[in-house]
Amino acid sequence: MGVGMRLLQKINKAYLVSSAVVLAVCSTLLYFILQRQAQLEIDEELALQEELISAQIAQGQMPSFPLTDVRQLNSTARPSTMYGDSVVFDRLQLEHEDYRYLRSVKSINGKTYSIMVMDAHVGWADYYLTIFAVFLVMALLLGCTGLLVNYFAARSIWQPFFQNLKVYRSHSVSSGSPLQLQPSNVQEFREMQLALQEQTQRSRQEYLALREFTENASHEIQTPLAIIQAKLDRLSQYPISGEMMHHLALARDSVSRLSRINKNLLLLTKLENRAFEEKEQLDLRPLLQAQLDQMEDLFEMKHIALQTEISATALQANRYLIDILLSNLLANALRYTPENGKVSIRLSPERLEVANSGAPLTLTEDQLYARFKKGRANSGQSTGLGLAIAKGICEAHGWQLRYRYSGEEHHFEVRFA
Amino acid sequence: MKLLIVEDEQALREETASYLTERGYLCELAGNYAEAEDKMLLYEYDTIVLDISLPDGDGLQLLRHLKKHRPDAGVLILSAKDSLPDKLEGLNLGADDYITKPFHLEELNARINALIRRKSLSGTPEIKAGEVLIDTAAKTVHVRDEALTLTRKEYELLLYLILNQNRVVSQQAIAEHLWGNSYDMADNFNFIYLHIRNLRKKLRASTGNDHIKTMYGMGYKWESA
Repeated sequence: MGVGMRLLQKINKAYLVSSAVVLAVCSTLLYFILQRQAQLEIDEELALQEELISAQIAQGQMPSFPLTDVRQLNSTARPSTMYGDSVVFDRLQLEHEDYRYLRSVKSINGKTYSIMVMDAHVGWADYYLTIFAVFLVMALLLGCTGLLVNYFAARSIWQPFFQNLKVYRSHSVSSGSPLQLQPSNVQEFREMQLALQEQTQRSRQEYLALREFTENASHEIQTPLAIIQAKLDRLSQYPISGEMMHHLALARDSVSRLSRINKNLLLLTKLENRAFEEKEQLDLRPLLQAQLDQMEDLFEMKHIALQTEISATALQANRYLIDILLSNLLANALRYTPENGKVSIRLSPERLEVANSGAPLTLTEDQLYARFKKGRANSGQSTGLGLAIAKGICEAHGWQLRYRYSGEEHHFEVRFA
Repeated sequence: MKLLIVEDEQALREETASYLTERGYLCELAGNYAEAEDKMLLYEYDTIVLDISLPDGDGLQLLRHLKKHRPDAGVLILSAKDSLPDKLEGLNLGADDYITKPFHLEELNARINALIRRKSLSGTPEIKAGEVLIDTAAKTVHVRDEALTLTRKEYELLLYLILNQNRVVSQQAIAEHLWGNSYDMADNFNFIYLHIRNLRKKLRASTGNDHIKTMYGMGYKWESA
């Protein structure tokens, strides 16, 4: 799910960053609007207080309110009204506080008065902090709920996607069943599903056409080969000269080799097309034993010491391929072990190892499995496909074929994982 | 013994018939589905050699049809496809054996022989060539009533040469017969030579004759006369 979660994280990140910006802008705006409204409110109150004071003066009283200053002016100053901010030292709290004041000069009953009323700005610094705190909490809550909503909603939305990815990954065009994808109500996913299904359908059709072609090619080649072989066999029944015999023998060898190459290439193509999906529960021991019985005389005639350590090994495998894998590994050991050499075969539920004595390789391990690579001496008329096929068969079963050279022996090991 | 050879490729059909006729079989030929169907329902054959890829129909369908009407007919499938599902399907439908193209005529002959021996309860399992008598049921060999001890491979080699007697049998055919064709080692003829040498030694000691003739580079031939 790695990539999917990263996509979610990306969306979440963008969402959180934009939320933070929006919240910051809103809180700043709120701060200024509130400040302005509060100031208007204070100014109104100051104006009202000044009106009250003026009214009292007009009735002949000399008012004395806290935070007011009323003085009679001698001069005939021009009437005015002025708002302003000032700082007053608060003796109780021992700190300076912001105050708003209104100073007006007006004449009442023919006399000129200067009236100043003041009111404290209600702790702006505190407001600022309060607003900041509220918005921070809001931001956090939004972030958290956003994350939770994304996480859970996305999981249920993405679930079919991941399910389908799994199905698609394990789908093979050679399997008989069509691709079965889970439906999704997300349009993008639906489009992708449709594209995948179409693509798979097309691949399958192409695959079937290719397989048909391969099989037809096989048929077309095998039959003429059968005719050539039969005719060469027929020719060799006639009394012929030694020279002609020699030519005939060469022709026959080549036909036999061609037919083996054709057969092996077809097998490789089928392996690549994963044409061997049928697997059954098999015990490898009797199969290996049967092959060894069949080849026993061959090892004997080459004076090869055959050492076996075979235990019962039950596996899910394709019967036909197992026979080929075993015979290819054994034939390889037989071919490349020098006279009087040694071959040891070990079979356990974990692995099969075929080791044979011999000089080190002139090929790299990769070249060993490459088609038609024959680097070793006395490879004779080997088709050079045996190990490529062995590797293909191991891959078809999800096994590993490994090679190492140690103790002057070549070790081929199949690990049944 | 009467055989029906169903094969669409004329050259292969005729070559096969020609060799099997030499072996003493009475061969009838069919080159397509319709012809094969007509013949196999009309006449009785000991064995039918059936190519399952025919131009005008599915050979397996033909086999199904045949088995419904003549359940005890011996059938040997010829196929260009060396694939297990085809083989299993063929055998499940009642075929007795399956051989992949290209094949050696000697191998086909040996398989037909084995099939007929398996099928006919009345027939004798013994094969005689000169003074050599092979009991294919007990897998023993006698020379003038005296038992000859052979290894399994020597026995198989002897039987193969005798079934195809008076014919040069190629080393490739022998290798495939003895070790199967999956070993990719038909070129390693030393092994055949060694078996031939041992067999010849044993036979010469008991018969005093050398029936196995070496045809340089070509193969080996059993001559009874």
